[in-house]
Amino acid sequence: MESALWIGTVMGDGSSILPLFFRNKLTLGCRAVHSAFWYIFGSVNQTFSQLIKLKVLAIALLFFVNTDMAFGALRIDITKGGLQPLPIALSDFVDLSPNGAVFPQGTSGRELNEVITADLERSGLFKPLDPGSFMQTPAELWQKGPNFRDWRLIGAEAVVSGAAYEKDGKLVADFFLHDVYQGSLVGKGKRFTAPIRDLRHVAHRIADEIYTRLTGESGYFTSRIAFVASRGDMKWLALMDQDGANQVDLTRDRTLVLTPRFAPSGEQLFYLSYERGPPRIFRWDLYTGKRTIQGDYPGLNSAPSWSPDGQTMALTLSMDGNSEIYLRDLKSGNLRRLTENISIDTSPSFSPDGRQIVFNSDRGGSPQVYVMEANGSNVRRISFEGNYNAAPVWSPRGDFIAYVRGGGGRFRIAVIEPNGQNGRVLTDSWMDESPAWSPNGRVILFSRQSGSQTRLYTIDLTGHNERSVDLKGNINGSDPSWSPLVR
Amino acid sequence: MKRLASFFITVLLLGTLAGCGAVPNEGPDGAAAQGGGAKSDGAGVGGAGGYGSNLDDPNAAGALTEADRRVHFDFNSAALTPQAESVLAKNARALSRSAGRVQVEGHCDERGTREYNLALGQKRADAAAQFLISQGVDSGRIKTISYGKERPMIQGHDETSWQQNRRAEIIPQ
Repeated sequence: MESALWIGTVMGDGSSILPLFFRNKLTLGCRAVHSAFWYIFGSVNQTFSQLIKLKVLAIALLFFVNTDMAFGALRIDITKGGLQPLPIALSDFVDLSPNGAVFPQGTSGRELNEVITADLERSGLFKPLDPGSFMQTPAELWQKGPNFRDWRLIGAEAVVSGAAYEKDGKLVADFFLHDVYQGSLVGKGKRFTAPIRDLRHVAHRIADEIYTRLTGESGYFTSRIAFVASRGDMKWLALMDQDGANQVDLTRDRTLVLTPRFAPSGEQLFYLSYERGPPRIFRWDLYTGKRTIQGDYPGLNSAPSWSPDGQTMALTLSMDGNSEIYLRDLKSGNLRRLTENISIDTSPSFSPDGRQIVFNSDRGGSPQVYVMEANGSNVRRISFEGNYNAAPVWSPRGDFIAYVRGGGGRFRIAVIEPNGQNGRVLTDSWMDESPAWSPNGRVILFSRQSGSQTRLYTIDLTGHNERSVDLKGNINGSDPSWSPLVR
Repeated sequence: MKRLASFFITVLLLGTLAGCGAVPNEGPDGAAAQGGGAKSDGAGVGGAGGYGSNLDDPNAAGALTEADRRVHFDFNSAALTPQAESVLAKNARALSRSAGRVQVEGHCDERGTREYNLALGQKRADAAAQFLISQGVDSGRIKTISYGKERPMIQGHDETSWQQNRRAEIIPQ
């Protein structure tokens, strides 16, 4: 181990850097799209300072814990003040040569920090400070540890120091997270090793680590987005990292495709294709590129979604007279009908425990959101405001359901608790649809149509921090699905 | 059947080109000419210029114009209006005089969600198909498909466009 790595031990809480192993896989058909899968050993010993704890946790947990949390006098009222992002100093990682000396010609350190900074800034929970104000150079910070007084002066509450080097053709990145007010480490130093081409993945992984240590929630930066890309009247499936990088096309054959849906494993997609004439559901194995049709029932086949255990598909079929929701066992192909009435039932989405399904029905005269047990029993309506409530999706945390709320000629993204309480409209536009949750249930990804343009956006569960997702090639994007974490 | 299908397509194409509800002269076997040249049975005509305007030709299902094969719906509804029923009855009569198959396509306007509109489009297609069946058309001759809001007739974003886009179309196969 390089001597520099022990700075963490000397300064911090006696922790050491733990090695990480990885394996590399995931190919998409013939296209090689890489990703690293990390196995992390050891636990993170989190030592929060009071200040960081108060600020970030209060922000992060506001909607997961009752707002009258026992956090002393500090209460954040988001209806008045909005989110207060945590000021964090993100220094370029220091490039090292194999002998541990600073290697000024290196570029990996800067690239890592650019990705980390962009991730944390986009989350809305962090405010990366201007590096021009930093009083310690990255090399000083890495070699001597933070001079906490200097970092306090510029208002930083957390400081990240890191180093990167190449070894045996691989990128090795080490980082430490420091609590400025406590003057200590937050968690242990951590090392990531990956093929050099996976630099962005390593950076996202570090950003996830910082996010997790400072909010107590799982991050979401090492994840992907599948979506329907379009230009003119052509639509195709595309895949990209959550920040819009590494965008690749999955289909490009002019067949109409819709509604990709990531499997809980992140390794497969369900999607709808018109390649056989009428719309049929296909499963795409992203590892092998193999595609298989999931049944060929008369009439409409649509709205595929995965059970949390990946064993069952919920879907909509019209073969029994009108659109009803069914379950299809993925191994046997056996069908089980869940709904039975003369109205439209569609857009099923499982609760994370797999025991309930939220769906869309116009049995009450207008499209509304309903919840039922996964066997079809105990149906209850949960949306009552708005005359067109549709496309419900259950958060992976289970605490909220996101849906499209229509009323007054507008369609907006809203959330509501599964019991129908505390509904809130998050966006304000003319035609927002297709909500999809980040893997940690914190951010909602959706599409927004304005005129003939459709773009992807994200918004925080609190209704703050709306951001557009940049797509390459001047294309439209719709029908997004957010993958689980790719580790 | 294949000849009949190409007949329908030809009529459709040429009808569009001519900008009117032009109808070809029919041969004794019910088949029409390809636009590019006469059929070997000598019954066809050479091109668009040869088409007459006998709109009320009672013998050809293809006599219906595109507009004659389209019905419209109210917002978020798959209920057939009296006008839609009259259009469909006309289609049923035309179908009763031929042996061709049709695909009934259901469409929606751009408002609302992708999946709900797919279901609504299917409901519209099914409603139109059921009406044709009630008028005596063999159900085996009808296929239905929903395009939801994916194939608008008009690209506008106003009530006039939406009204046009909420539709079912009877497409000869």
